[in-house]
Amino acid sequence: MNTPAIAKKPNKDFWKHGAILALLALELFPFYMMLQISFKDNKSFVQNTWLPSLPTEWLWKNYWDAMQLLLPYISNSMVVSVSATLGTLFFALLGAYFFARYKMPLSGALWSGYLILMLLPGVANIVPLFALLKSMNLLNTLLALIILGAAGGQVFCIYVLRNFIEEIPKDLFEAAEMDGASHFNQLWNIVVPMSGPILGTLAILQFLGNWNEFLMPLILLRDPQLFTIGVGLIYLDGEYVKDWGNIMAAFTVASIPLVVIFLFTMRLFVQGLSSGAVKG
Amino acid sequence: MSAPISPKKALAEWKLYLFLVPSLILILLFSYYPAISAIYHSFFRWNGGESKEFIGFQNYAQIFNDKIFLQSFLTIGILIVANLLKLIPSIIMAVFIHRLSSTKFQYWYRVLLVLPMVVPGLVTLFIWKFFFNPNLGALNYFMEFSGLKTLLVHLDQFFGWGGIFLNDFPISWLGEPQLIVPSLIIWGFPWIGAVGVLMFIAGLQSIGTEIYEAADLDGIGPIGKFIYIEFPLIITQIRVIVVLMMIGTLQSFGMQFLLLGENGGPGGAGMVPGLWMFNRAFIAGEFGYACALGLCLFVVILGLTFINNKFLRVEK
Repeated sequence: MNTPAIAKKPNKDFWKHGAILALLALELFPFYMMLQISFKDNKSFVQNTWLPSLPTEWLWKNYWDAMQLLLPYISNSMVVSVSATLGTLFFALLGAYFFARYKMPLSGALWSGYLILMLLPGVANIVPLFALLKSMNLLNTLLALIILGAAGGQVFCIYVLRNFIEEIPKDLFEAAEMDGASHFNQLWNIVVPMSGPILGTLAILQFLGNWNEFLMPLILLRDPQLFTIGVGLIYLDGEYVKDWGNIMAAFTVASIPLVVIFLFTMRLFVQGLSSGAVKG
Repeated sequence: MSAPISPKKALAEWKLYLFLVPSLILILLFSYYPAISAIYHSFFRWNGGESKEFIGFQNYAQIFNDKIFLQSFLTIGILIVANLLKLIPSIIMAVFIHRLSSTKFQYWYRVLLVLPMVVPGLVTLFIWKFFFNPNLGALNYFMEFSGLKTLLVHLDQFFGWGGIFLNDFPISWLGEPQLIVPSLIIWGFPWIGAVGVLMFIAGLQSIGTEIYEAADLDGIGPIGKFIYIEFPLIITQIRVIVVLMMIGTLQSFGMQFLLLGENGGPGGAGMVPGLWMFNRAFIAGEFGYACALGLCLFVVILGLTFINNKFLRVEK
């Protein structure tokens, strides 16, 4: 530890830490504002714009109001995001297993059929999709959002999972086959246990995507009791007279479920994204 | 790679096809069918209901006279160029984090970077909308406080911008047609994209320490190291991000819709192709025309992807 070369390093890093922290502070500044305003009312916000108010003056009422307003939306979003994510991963695992296990006849053509969809802009599909769901009597239902979520995740998840399953040593499958394991058993007992991290990362990404979705819910949902969190926030933003403390508390409440999930899966998520396994 | 299989064995393994069926049904019904239906309906005058009228290429002819649609491509072009420049902070961030000697700090900085990703995009967008608020927003506080506003007022008078910036009035970021595109660019400052940074770091990690040591011996400074060692190694990642960004920007209109409304704000200055398509379909009820607009957008994206693949391929 006394060699000059090592002793010099922290000193050199000092500037890098400073630069990184400055950039991060700017990046996180909006969320600081959200949190500190969420405890104020309009009056105290105008008087004291930048600094948090004293904890004794914190208006917990903002959160109480936000909870009452958003809890139904949050539970709708939970139902949609959890079901859509599970659906996506289950069907994508099955599909990826098909592509990864053998070069079956036609699998090349089918694979191209999947890849082409990566280029198709979703935006061109919105109008016919609306008409399709209308004819299926699925307008104004959460089921429509679940199905759309599950369908929308297929291409990306199959793409990632196929590459992953192909990396699994073939001997494992052959040994299982000798023992008379069906393909579904092989998928369940070999692939699933080995693909924990990748499935976790994909699950978080899909969940995030579904949670953030607001366009299709906005187009499809009419009943306020079916609104997902995105639609709820848009209506909240549309109010004419704004109580900013209340609104910021609502924003915070809308973020909490994801932040909690993130706290538990941080390591997995950061490593999954960093490893380059998920390259888009 | 998937293992090759003899036709005879494939026949015996026919059950494997069942594995693909659910996924295939999903994409056929919700990706392929809408796409084909969009092509079909682009030849009709259709209000989304039962009745429709075949009008041939009339919708497509209309596109070429649609000033708003053509103008919207100019706007999105500006935003794409801006987004290209907005990648620079992410690259700088990645290089800084990569050059840290402590892996512990590297990890925690990455965690902090990913944190904004888990806040719903809508929330971030609405907080920025609040920042743009003329009376209460942080941006105007900052402009006043830093004296930038006085500068802008002088520039306005000097160049004759017509009073966008006035001493006695707060700057109306989302209310002034000329300020809408600048606001859409400022949005999200300092523009650090977590996925981009993490991908760049992953690329940088393939550089061995001995390369840095050799560079040190040759007396190459920090900037030289970036130009000669780091940049060439992340060019592949940069290219992937650029392609994804271009396609994403061309398609996206959520930001414009939420910040400015369905008409693209005052004077329609924030109108982008996707938003115009949405507007025609759900505001004007011209679903057939909207389908034609969507296909037009698809062709542009396809063309761009093609050009990207052909010319932006990185020689290795």
